[in-house]
Amino acid sequence: MDENLDNLVICSKCHTVHKKIDLPYKKVAKCAVCGNKLYSDVENAFYKAVSYSVTALILFVVANLYPIIKVYIGSNQSILTIPSMVATLFDENFYVVGSIVLVVIFIAPLSVIFSYLALWVLTYFKIYKNFSKHIISFLMVSRNWAMVDIFGVSILVALVKLFGYAQIQPGVSAYALVLFILVDLIFLKSIKPVELWTYFSRAYDGK
Amino acid sequence: MMENRYIRCPYCGSVNYNKDEVIYCRNCHNKIGSKVEANLHTAWAMLVTAVIFYIIANIYPILVIDKFGVTSQNTIIGGVIALWDEGSYPIALIIFFASVFVPLLKFFLILYILTNYKKPKKGSKKVDQAKLYHFTEIIGPWSMIDVFVVSILATVVHFGNIKITAGIGATAFVLMVFFTMLSAMSIDIRLIKEGASGN
Repeated sequence: MDENLDNLVICSKCHTVHKKIDLPYKKVAKCAVCGNKLYSDVENAFYKAVSYSVTALILFVVANLYPIIKVYIGSNQSILTIPSMVATLFDENFYVVGSIVLVVIFIAPLSVIFSYLALWVLTYFKIYKNFSKHIISFLMVSRNWAMVDIFGVSILVALVKLFGYAQIQPGVSAYALVLFILVDLIFLKSIKPVELWTYFSRAYDGK
Repeated sequence: MMENRYIRCPYCGSVNYNKDEVIYCRNCHNKIGSKVEANLHTAWAMLVTAVIFYIIANIYPILVIDKFGVTSQNTIIGGVIALWDEGSYPIALIIFFASVFVPLLKFFLILYILTNYKKPKKGSKKVDQAKLYHFTEIIGPWSMIDVFVVSILATVVHFGNIKITAGIGATAFVLMVFFTMLSAMSIDIRLIKEGASGN
C-alpha cells in the first residue's frame, strides 16, 4: 500500500500506470499500451529545456521588437508585430479577443520560459521547495495556453489571403518567430511532467 | 491490477492515490476532482456555453471589410466559401477544418464522454475514451487559427481607404474556444481513467 508514488508514472494519453525505471542516457520510456512517450533521461531533458529557454527568451524578445511582416498595398505600408496586433484589437474595443490573444501568444509563452529559469535557480540553490512545486504546476498549465505555434500557422494563412492584393516582405522577427516556435515545440513543450518531478526529487532530496 | 488505485493530476502530472472523494494533488495541491456529479455539471455548463457562442460566432460576421466606403461582412462559412471560389482550396480547407470542423468535433467528443461515462464498458473501450479525451485536448487550441488570422488582417490592413476590422463573431468565437477548453478541463479524470490497466 505504501509504494512510493514517485516511482510510478501514468500515461497522459491512455492513463495506464507504469513503474518507473532509471533510463540510460538518451533513452526514452514509452507507454506499453499506446506507445506515448512517458519520460526520457531526466537530467538531460531538464537541462536541455533550461538552456533552450534562454535561447527562446532572446528569440521571443526579438520577435516582439521588430516587424514580423511588412505589407504594402498601393502607396500604403503597414507592419505586423505582436504588440501592435494586441494594441489594434484594444483600440477597436475588442477587449475580450485582445486579452485572450495577449495571454496565449505573449503572457503564457513568457510564463513558460521564466518558470523553467526560476525552477533551475531554485533547485540549484535548493531553496523554496514548496514554491518550486507551484512553479512546476504553473508551468504545466501555462504550457497548455501558449499558442505561438498556432499563431505562426495563422500568419501563413493570413499571407495567402493577402497575396492577391498586397506586396509582402518578411521582417527580422519572422525568422526569430520561426526559430522560437521550433525551440518551443522541440524543447520546452515536449518535456514530460514526470521528468520535472523526478528532477525535482533528485534536486531537493537526492532521490 | 492497480488501475484504479492511482490517478494522474491533470495540472502537474503527479501520481496520486485515487479516492472516491475530493483529492488534492500531493505535489501541486490543486483539486483533482470534487464530487464527480458536481464536475459533470461544470463540464456540461461550459459545453452549453461554448455551443451558444459557436452559434453566435457563425451567425455574426467575424471580419468586416471597409473598402472605399463600401462595407462588406464575412461570416466564418462565408469566408470559407469566398476562399474556395477564389481558388484558394488549401486555405479554405484549413479554415474550414480549424473553425468549423474542429469545434464541432470537440463538442461531440466531450458530449460522448459526458453521456457515456456511466455505461459499463470493457477495458479497451475505456482506454479508447481516454485517448479521445487526450485528442480533444490536443486539437482544441487549433480553432484559434481564425481568430489570429482576423487579428493579423485587422492589424496590417488598416488604412484610410481600406480597412479590415474584427466582427462580433470574433469575440463569440474566441469565447467559444475558451469555454470548450474549460469544459474539457472540467471533466473529472476519474470518469475516463477507470479502464487503464497497470503494467
